[in-house]
Amino acid sequence: MIAPGIKRGTAELAVLSVLEEGPLHGYEMARRIEEQTHGALRFTLASLYPLLYRLEKRGWVRGAWETSDTGRRRRCYRLTPEGKKKLAPIRKEWDELFRALRRLTKVSHV
Amino acid sequence: MCDWEAHVRQQLGDLALGDDERGAVIAELGGHLEETYEQQRRLGLSEEAAAERALSQVKNWRSLRRQIQWARMKEDVMADRVKQVWLPGFLTLFLSMMLLMTIQFIGPKPWVVSPHGWRVMAPMTVIYVPWLLCLVPIGAMGAYLSSRAGASRRSAFVSIFFPVLPYFVFFLAAFPVCVILDDHVAHNVMLSALCIGLLAWVVLPGIALLAGGLPVQLLRSRRPASA
Repeated sequence: MIAPGIKRGTAELAVLSVLEEGPLHGYEMARRIEEQTHGALRFTLASLYPLLYRLEKRGWVRGAWETSDTGRRRRCYRLTPEGKKKLAPIRKEWDELFRALRRLTKVSHV
Repeated sequence: MCDWEAHVRQQLGDLALGDDERGAVIAELGGHLEETYEQQRRLGLSEEAAAERALSQVKNWRSLRRQIQWARMKEDVMADRVKQVWLPGFLTLFLSMMLLMTIQFIGPKPWVVSPHGWRVMAPMTVIYVPWLLCLVPIGAMGAYLSSRAGASRRSAFVSIFFPVLPYFVFFLAAFPVCVILDDHVAHNVMLSALCIGLLAWVVLPGIALLAGGLPVQLLRSRRPASA
């Protein structure tokens, strides 16, 4: 498991990346992140929604209520064009950080 | 099965957001807990264990409330409070004080009022009738500026009454302190002096401000919100 301090920094990248694949509601977003990171990154309700609301406030994601086939209403989030623009530099920053850590620690699979 | 939305409402009911926004947050978080619960049930957990797993999503509701408020409205609250309360409030206070000073300098002379009728003896107070009349449009202006900025009814009334708040605070706090500390005050007339002072500087101006502010507040609150 990854320490919470490290996870906190990666949370924005994780949410924006998973939303890049398509619109998702909060529960599905948390499930996808957990699945795609093999459980290394786990979002609970308490960690996910304040982050989503912050991203929405910045205009990086946009939430809208939608009704599913089963009649359940959920708030689906989409990446906005501004969010897409922000994702690239964030990715680059993390990539540089990983490469720097790899050089520093000589960990081969960072 | 637990009513998850009701549970979230119980925990976050006092979330300091607008009614619609608070309702949307509660519905969204309730839906998340419900899906967590259902997923755990599908995985074969008992109702109790699944509910426990869903509830473990939030360890500290107070902290979550703070984080959501911070995320959704922190900047807006500060800006809104200035526009809805402080700006109209200080403007009406400034105008009322300037008018009072002007009237004191150039007249007309105030009414001197005493409980003893025309016999002018303590306790007594002065009532500036032109000032009271001027407070009617000032109250209306406070209500208009405040409600135009989207203030709640409570904020609008704070703006309406803002010019009398300093007097009210004085009578509430400073005056009783004077009674205790100042030997020169005639203690036998103190209660009646307090009442008559309150009437002249808080109640009557308050009524004048309300006479102007209330109709404006009612008119504006009945208007449909613009898109």
